[in-house]
Amino acid sequence: MPEIKVTPLGAGQDVGRSCVLVSIAGRNVMLDCGMHMGYNDDRRFPDFSYITQNGRLTDFLDCVIISHFHLDHCGALPYFSEMVGYDGPIYMTHPTKAICPILLEDYRKITVDKKGETNFFTSQMIKDCMKKVVAVHLHQTVQVDEELEIKAYYAGHVLGAAMFQIKVGCESVVYTGDYNMTPDRHLGAAWIDKCRPDLLITESTYATTIRDSKRCRERDFLKKVHETVERGGKVLIPVFALGRAQELCILLETFWERMNLKAPIYFSTGLTEKANHYYKLFITWTNQKIRKTFVQRNMFEFKHIKAFDRAFADNPGPMVVFATPGMLHAGQSLQIFRKWAGNEKNMVIMPGYCVQGTVGHKILSGQRKLEMEGRQILEVKMQVEYMSFSAHADAKGIMQLIRQAEPRNVLLVHGEAKKMEFLKQKIEQEFHVSCYMPANGETTTIFTNPSIPVDISLGLLKRETAIGLLPDAKKPKLMHGTLIMKDNSFRLVSPEQALKELGLAEHQLRFTCRVHIQDPRKEHETALRVYNHLKGVLKDYSVQHLPDGSITVESILIQATAHSEDQGTKVLLVSWTYQDEELGSYLTSLLKKGLPPSTS
Amino acid sequence: MSRQCALLLPRVCAALADPRQPGSDDTCLEKMLDWFRELREGEPTEKLLQDNPCLTEFFSSVLALPEPNPSILSFTLRLAGILAAAEDCFQHLQQRQLLVRLFGEGGPLSSAAWEDASVRSGWVEGVHSMVQHQPALHFICSGGGIDVVFTLQGDPSLFVASAASRLLVHMLTLSVGPEVTLPLNAKDCDWPACAQMIVKHIEDSLQSSSASHIKQSLKLLTSLFGSCQATWTKVLWLGVAKQVESFLTEDSVQAQHMLPDLLLNMARSPVFRDTEGSFWALVTSALEHLTPLQAGPLAVGILKLFQCPQDVRIQALTVLLQPMDCILRAASQPLEYAGLVDESVSDPSTVENLLSSKSSCASLLCQTLAHLEELLSVAYLRVDLPSATLVRSVVIILQFCNGLLIPASPLGSKISQILIGCFRVQRSALDALAALSQWKRCDTVVESLFDVLLAYLESPNTSPTVLKKSFQAMAKWLVHLLHKSFKKQRQTEKSLQDVLLVLQKRLCSPCWEVRDSSLEFLTKLIACLRDQDEFRQSLLSSEVPKLTENLLEDPESYVRASAVTAVGHLAFLTYFFFPESPVAGNQYNKENTVAKLQEILSTDPEVFPRRAVMSIFTMWLQQCCTGELEETERFVSRVIQITERDLDWEVRLGCLEMVQIFTIYMFCRFGLPECPYTPVPSAVTSSISWCEPLQIFCRVKLFGFLFRSLCDCDKPVGQKACDILLALKSHFCQSSMIDSQGSGDLAAGRGIPWLQRTLRQGSLAENFSTGGGNGVDFEDPESMMLALRTIDFEELHSDLNKCSDHVEKSPQSLLEDILAAVGTIEENEADCY
Repeated sequence: MPEIKVTPLGAGQDVGRSCVLVSIAGRNVMLDCGMHMGYNDDRRFPDFSYITQNGRLTDFLDCVIISHFHLDHCGALPYFSEMVGYDGPIYMTHPTKAICPILLEDYRKITVDKKGETNFFTSQMIKDCMKKVVAVHLHQTVQVDEELEIKAYYAGHVLGAAMFQIKVGCESVVYTGDYNMTPDRHLGAAWIDKCRPDLLITESTYATTIRDSKRCRERDFLKKVHETVERGGKVLIPVFALGRAQELCILLETFWERMNLKAPIYFSTGLTEKANHYYKLFITWTNQKIRKTFVQRNMFEFKHIKAFDRAFADNPGPMVVFATPGMLHAGQSLQIFRKWAGNEKNMVIMPGYCVQGTVGHKILSGQRKLEMEGRQILEVKMQVEYMSFSAHADAKGIMQLIRQAEPRNVLLVHGEAKKMEFLKQKIEQEFHVSCYMPANGETTTIFTNPSIPVDISLGLLKRETAIGLLPDAKKPKLMHGTLIMKDNSFRLVSPEQALKELGLAEHQLRFTCRVHIQDPRKEHETALRVYNHLKGVLKDYSVQHLPDGSITVESILIQATAHSEDQGTKVLLVSWTYQDEELGSYLTSLLKKGLPPSTS
Repeated sequence: MSRQCALLLPRVCAALADPRQPGSDDTCLEKMLDWFRELREGEPTEKLLQDNPCLTEFFSSVLALPEPNPSILSFTLRLAGILAAAEDCFQHLQQRQLLVRLFGEGGPLSSAAWEDASVRSGWVEGVHSMVQHQPALHFICSGGGIDVVFTLQGDPSLFVASAASRLLVHMLTLSVGPEVTLPLNAKDCDWPACAQMIVKHIEDSLQSSSASHIKQSLKLLTSLFGSCQATWTKVLWLGVAKQVESFLTEDSVQAQHMLPDLLLNMARSPVFRDTEGSFWALVTSALEHLTPLQAGPLAVGILKLFQCPQDVRIQALTVLLQPMDCILRAASQPLEYAGLVDESVSDPSTVENLLSSKSSCASLLCQTLAHLEELLSVAYLRVDLPSATLVRSVVIILQFCNGLLIPASPLGSKISQILIGCFRVQRSALDALAALSQWKRCDTVVESLFDVLLAYLESPNTSPTVLKKSFQAMAKWLVHLLHKSFKKQRQTEKSLQDVLLVLQKRLCSPCWEVRDSSLEFLTKLIACLRDQDEFRQSLLSSEVPKLTENLLEDPESYVRASAVTAVGHLAFLTYFFFPESPVAGNQYNKENTVAKLQEILSTDPEVFPRRAVMSIFTMWLQQCCTGELEETERFVSRVIQITERDLDWEVRLGCLEMVQIFTIYMFCRFGLPECPYTPVPSAVTSSISWCEPLQIFCRVKLFGFLFRSLCDCDKPVGQKACDILLALKSHFCQSSMIDSQGSGDLAAGRGIPWLQRTLRQGSLAENFSTGGGNGVDFEDPESMMLALRTIDFEELHSDLNKCSDHVEKSPQSLLEDILAAVGTIEENEADCY
């Protein structure tokens, strides 16, 4: 039975690093190739040695698909393609291809910055990896090979994020990556057509959460920033170069405009230009509002947000600074934090997740005395706020997507086990489909029942429907014909048509049987006795005695010959076609009983 | 364990065992285990348990939980295993019945938590850590634990199954011990109890009718022979050899694909390698019976062995060459072709069938080509590769793939139909072709080789990845042949012209990947062939240099960066090494190029081109191409001025590297220790004062840049600056010089204490003005001399090295983080990137 196999190497019951292997109709695809920011050793990458026990990766995997540019989805890609040795095709959307290298460079920088970090990809490797990437458009069907095709759908979440449909023949899988079912300030909502895949692999970060209105969170954020600035304090917002930063920039820009605020807003390290360049370049990937107003005013050309110079940090008076990196673990954001932490008038707003060990993680968990580089204790007096702006579908959104795509099975990844369990039950109850949640390293096998469309010739259809009851669209009907499988298509035609098309001659198969009877007479006399006997018994059939002495009953032929050793025994050779099989067996059994006493 | 950690640990244990607390971040638990592993290395474990009774209490508390969190339970099992690895600690935990409750039948094994793969994984890993001594081995074997491990070999989780297999290998090795000599007869062998159980399990599984059991045992044997080379492994093998051999021919089991790895691991072990012919007979039989796709990895492994019978090698080579032979045959007239392999040794029909099937043709060719490429990189290959014929066959494959050759033979036409447009095979073939350039005796087929490569480079259907590989292969062959016998090979010269024409076209490609690969190709050629007159003339008389310069303004930053590198290399041809070159006309003006690159360095919004400029400038300086002293001084001064406020730390670091070379260059010039970069050591001019370099450094504003960099927010920059300052100090502050200079006047030293203090605080940062506002004149040689003498750069250096990033790696920080996370809002944890 055809089957689809799914093995997460990452994101199976966790939100660490996404990497899901899918086998569908003999094709092997890797979905995402992410890294875990919480580790500094081999554990940060998925263990690729499990992909294939024998043979080369490039021979085993047909392609790699990257859903979006976040590092937990693409961070291991250069390692995989340039160091582990995968040399096959990699697919992602155009914006993802453009933005990926920036984040990978950022990550590399942070990593090599750390002492003793070897065995790591270089800038050249990132470039070589990106040159292997085939960029795809939304809704474009891309043929990976003759049978495997993929198609991208809009996923919201971040610029360029996509869900991918993977299809081989009539079997298909949809992988959502991370997605968001509600539009935000710069992106639209995820959308997919009713593609009825055999399997939907969906993220489940917020499996049990119904998120509060985003407007409340935004209002809260603006209020906090505004209050701090009003009392003359400075606001630090540590961010990663791309993604949430842009949304917050739009938010502050419009607020500043509306309230006519004068305090400066800065975005550090020149990333704003670069990031905004991409948002402008890929304007079609943003939401409707941004696209509509683009001609009058480009949302990404900020009036109030200026490039940051490190000397500005010491300027007196209020200001808001977006600085990288987002977890306060190195670089400029940490340097500014150290300067401002001692003043209770200031505030740091953490808009995203921080891994253990980082300063961001420490202050979020309430630590207020931090040892910096073993030299000094930094007392954190500034206010610390956490604001979640991560753009994932909540439980409602996930259910909505399932309703939209109508999958036959659902598999949950990128979430916590307990929450997944709850959502799994909900999905199974509401949609009556099987739902799976494999842990990392566990393989889920889904049996598919592919329905294969077959064309039928009109002549045969008419002939077949003429037999039996009138056709009923809701009931299956048995058809007889010859199935021709040619050039990837299936057609049911009449046997005559099939012979004609394929240029074949018809062969007649005949069944034969020998019946021995005791009759000392000459052969022709025995034949005559048989003829008379049959004529008497088979009144409704056409029984004929041919001039050569043989007898026919419909297509059945009977010949009498003398036994080579015993002249008293005659051998009746009975032969018949497949169509007259019933009559043929009846006749042989009749003859085996012997001839009635002579009537002549 | 430090005192602070010992104080924190009880609270951490209590928090972890508290079911009301939300599960801790998995990375924290992993890092805690890492810490305990380190502790175990450093101090007696029993003392660790005695000093920290909270650990045993933690085990008891977790065991007492009705529904423990799976990740905490898994952590508990692994931690217990790590601690119990020491025998005294094992006894300590045994006495408290903790190990039985954790790893025995009544423990998690029989609870609902066992359903969770992380718990099973924790159990296997815990046992693996623990089984380092005989009592632990006995505990697992006698308590039924070994049966659990046997079962886990077939676990639905790949991770658990694989860990179980590794554990069995470890237990078997530990049980038998390294030095045991056993009789060379499996039947009479008196295995130790645990080993006996495992050996029996292996034998039974191999004889069972279950394919999965057979595969598990084959996997176990593979990993055993791969990791253990004790003589007893042979005894074990003798017991199962017949059975394993039967799998070669038994289709029902379908275990053939597992045999190459097993046989290879055995072939690498001296235990099997040196024995009489039976093992090699099995290898030979495997090479015969396995399908070409299965036999390929075995063949390549065999050929890489140093010790192996020559006839087995020849057979392995036949396996690899057969597909290539088939290709050659398919493309030739029957009488034309002598053949690569001896057909009396091997039957080509299987390979022919595979090559004429759509589903297997590309796979077989890709695998074979990859294997050949692998072999070509082996230095001590013990067989002769027919390289010229191989080049021919690879060329034919490439011709099939782009429709250049459609042979008349049925097999050939079938293969060419399958391969046409197949990128996979194209990529593998081009890699193999590039590797073949290093091999001798290939020159006879050069013409067709260049033709096919040019066809790929010219064809609009060539994909960017294939094009890149075509360029790489072309570069290797061109360099190889031009270096070798340029004058003899007119063909090569013509090819070079053709390549330059293609390059002109490709440099204007709308696809950035293609433009970039073209520039990389050009740089590679220049780097390797810049001494070749013919190459130089051909290149400079073409349009390529002009087009390359145009790409300095490419919209794609990667391309701009590659263009910078190419232009930087071109400079060697146009004016650095051959200033009088007749072809180097006015269009190649050094000042223009330098100005252009400096403009990129100061204005390009993307990092890659700016980094590339820094690398080129450094390379120029290294090769003494920046002109006379004054010119070089101006050059360095300008670059420092542009770069010191660059937003990218790698650009700043690049500039520091250039500065480092500049300082060495100066010292050589003025007679200080020998300089690796000066082609002719300059005469020591005693009349020039040693302090002239110091004055030059001050003039180019080098000190301001270095001191500013010391406080850079990116650590590598600070470290590099410190390295350079240390070197300067050692040059300038030799005792004789100090004596001659005295201790400097007070005016010069006014700002130095401030500088010293600020550097010590490590917070120089933004308010650090190099304009003299703080009383320090960074352009005054005397002040700088004083600064070099006074400031303790050694101490600074060690501070900078102490913690190269801000992620606190100390266990104390980890424990504090775990404690601090207790009670934080759950939403923080659910969030992700």
